[in-house]
Amino acid sequence: MRRHRRSALATVLALASVVALSACGSSSSSSTSTGAAATTTSGSATAAAGGPVKVVVGTAPDSLDPQFGYTTQAAEADWLAYTGLTTYAHANGQAGGTVIPGLATALPVVSDGGKTYTATLRKGLVYSNGKPVKASDFAYTIERALKLPWGGSGQFYGGTIKGAAEFAAGKAKSISGIVADDATGTITIHLIAPYGAFDNVLAFPSSGLVPSGTPMKNMPLTPPPGVGPYMITNVVANSSFQVVKNPHWTPIPGIPSGYNNISVSINPNVSSNALAVLQNSADVFDYADTVPGSLLPQIKAQASDRYSKKIMNSTYYVFLNTQTKPFSSQLAREAVITGIDQNAMSRLGSGTLIPGCYFLPPGMVGHPTQPCPYGDPASGGNLAKAKQLVQQSGMAGQPVTVWSQTRSPRQQWMTYYTQFLNQIGFKATQKVIADATYWTTIGNLKLNPQTGFADWNQDFPNPIDFYLLLQSTAIQPNNNQNFGQVKDAHVDSTSKRLGATPSSRLQSIAAQWQALDTYVAQKAYVGAYGYQTFPAFTSNRIDLSKAIFGPQYGWDWSSLTFK
Amino acid sequence: MATTSAPGTEFSADLGAAVAAEGEDLPPGIGPWKLAWRRLRRNKTALFFGGVFLVIVALSVLAPVYSHDIAHIGYADQNIDKPILIAGKKTYVLDPTGIPIGPTWHSQYLLGADSDGRDVAVRLLYGGRNSLEVGIIATTITMVLALILGVWAGFFRGAADATIGVILDSIWAYPAVLLGIALGATLAISGINLGIFKIEGTSLYVPAVVVGIVYIPYVAKPIRGQVLTLREREFVDAARQQGLSNFRIMFSEILPNVASTIVVFVPLILANAILLEAALSFLGAGIKPPNASWGTMISDGVNTIPAAFHNVLVPGIMLVLTVMSINIFGDGLRDALDPRSKVRIAH
Repeated sequence: MRRHRRSALATVLALASVVALSACGSSSSSSTSTGAAATTTSGSATAAAGGPVKVVVGTAPDSLDPQFGYTTQAAEADWLAYTGLTTYAHANGQAGGTVIPGLATALPVVSDGGKTYTATLRKGLVYSNGKPVKASDFAYTIERALKLPWGGSGQFYGGTIKGAAEFAAGKAKSISGIVADDATGTITIHLIAPYGAFDNVLAFPSSGLVPSGTPMKNMPLTPPPGVGPYMITNVVANSSFQVVKNPHWTPIPGIPSGYNNISVSINPNVSSNALAVLQNSADVFDYADTVPGSLLPQIKAQASDRYSKKIMNSTYYVFLNTQTKPFSSQLAREAVITGIDQNAMSRLGSGTLIPGCYFLPPGMVGHPTQPCPYGDPASGGNLAKAKQLVQQSGMAGQPVTVWSQTRSPRQQWMTYYTQFLNQIGFKATQKVIADATYWTTIGNLKLNPQTGFADWNQDFPNPIDFYLLLQSTAIQPNNNQNFGQVKDAHVDSTSKRLGATPSSRLQSIAAQWQALDTYVAQKAYVGAYGYQTFPAFTSNRIDLSKAIFGPQYGWDWSSLTFK
Repeated sequence: MATTSAPGTEFSADLGAAVAAEGEDLPPGIGPWKLAWRRLRRNKTALFFGGVFLVIVALSVLAPVYSHDIAHIGYADQNIDKPILIAGKKTYVLDPTGIPIGPTWHSQYLLGADSDGRDVAVRLLYGGRNSLEVGIIATTITMVLALILGVWAGFFRGAADATIGVILDSIWAYPAVLLGIALGATLAISGINLGIFKIEGTSLYVPAVVVGIVYIPYVAKPIRGQVLTLREREFVDAARQQGLSNFRIMFSEILPNVASTIVVFVPLILANAILLEAALSFLGAGIKPPNASWGTMISDGVNTIPAAFHNVLVPGIMLVLTVMSINIFGDGLRDALDPRSKVRIAH
């Protein structure tokens, strides 16, 4: 009997531990989030003045190496540590999308009909390791981005800079279109053709200078030195990293030196991240994560002064591989767009999605205003029509693998999408991949993924930024970003032509971008299911009067400080 | 079948003494199995929990019946933004911010919905099916392979024992959960492809194979130890003298004497296999969506704890109840087979 009394006690303890374990979240939470996730203390926690601002993110950056990282989580840190010849204004709202001089003394001088950009490096610049910056480091930086390769390198460098594609293909030892004079600090860049958004390209973190001789390999755990008010240190893979003040930073006008160091914890349990910020044991909820709907009432009730929704230019979609069955058939792609219930997707995303069918989001120049070609996305989807289209396409019964990340609500979206594909006549199964390896996995052309989750947040406020995902020249064997493998001559030629227009004259070609985006929607190249609103959610310690939320990278971590 | 006096998991040495220890008149010529059954019958607690486990198995087996005839919804069916009728009332299973309804105590959504708008009760039963299926397959894999490896190593000794020992030690060196995660995450993408033998990455058999492999050393080593002792016994010598082949000796003399060990290990491994599968599924390395598993249900429910605690509580209780009932029944079985045995799973 003693044994069974112990068993009964063990039962109670086991039950309690299951509940406690679940409430604390996944196994990684308490050890990685610097005490954020597992605590249940309420009220404001005090932090030492000048102590680090604690940011919690749900997904690890794909890499903190600026010449490889291409996710929002990477960009949020990298743009503060790796300044390019140009950069973005540290300002709220639309003003935050303005390009300003970075390491160059002024915005590049554009000549030769838009094909030559000339900039001069500021004097006295040094890297975070104290090494002086040279003009030739710019050429090396771009070479490195092509070699690693950075996800946008094929499009933004190989497709624009003379000689870059040849260098990437191993046919040249250097990029012929970049001429750098270390003595004068002058950098001259010759483009293949005019490219209106090239100032924005120079502002990418991947264009942020690194010293010549930096190893030509991805360095996610020991990112190379850079020039910026901050530097990245103490990287623990999929766990945490620090963004600390750069002791060798020389102030540059327009680039604030920053207030506090930043301590970033990676915890895939976004629920516990949100709770941590609500309870003030963490300071900033990553804008790219979704606050679980189950917590929204509590947050709105207890923290309405520090929570808001921001609209940024982003599109959430399912990629549809146009080169392989079943989505090589346009009818099959139309079936997806016709039938998918965007209201359901929005509910699964805690009500944060705005329904839509166009690839360019509503805030972007060129977003079409006419009705969607395959029905009103807010109507709930037409399942019967979708089934009919699948039958007509001849692809009924085709096996389909749906690729998905693990974090919420992306996995829920893809679970629903998988069910939907089965309902309309495919044989769909879901494959869930760890977030940290998702993009590199589906970006591997050998895998030839058929469909799955994708999203795009603007790199800069120019439609050409979105259309790199649909240009055939963007298809590359590794780190591919054109997941749908769209190869359309009209898309290629039109987007290239429109992309040559300088950003200052974007409005003049808005109608042409609208026409192209309508064409893409009619061709059903992209299964857009909504435009996300993003949470701006902080602890009560953050001085919101100083905090900046920009259109490029969300929270400007250099603007975050305590009251 | 011979019995031995060696301590451990085999039957007690002196059947007469054991019978005398029962303290009552037993039918003459009662065998050790019947004696064990008598002991088990008298252990009401073990029988009760054995019954609980059988009820859980029966409910899980009847999951399709419940799903089709009572709940009228499949385990993967989602109701997200269209209202359904529950007790004549239009109800949205998920509210506009994605919060699921709680228990309705009606046939539809009896225990509420999860964050994907699926019926928790239906998924609970299907999850039980999957968890039990994985557990049983894994246990079978473990017991079969452990028996072969343990008997082979213990009987032949020498190079065979050394080689098998290295393999077992290599598996045993890794904590079970970590090894399970590593294997499960890898095989989830590639599946298992051994020529004619192919398993898709999303198949239930992948976590079953992973769990089965992880627990082999925990059974093989005790069996090996037992066989090392048995092979020196006089009845084995006698069998050799009679000219029986090694394989014949293993089958006719060794195997029957380790039978009770195997019987005792089965519920132990089954309970651990179910727990490990739940842990792997919770961490995303076990059963893949949209298949249900108690582990995935707990994992899916974590994000909705503040508003929908039932999504974690319900599968948690089922998991605890199942494992506890197997363990208590297994304890009773061990006591019945050999009250002096000290069988444990060392972690």
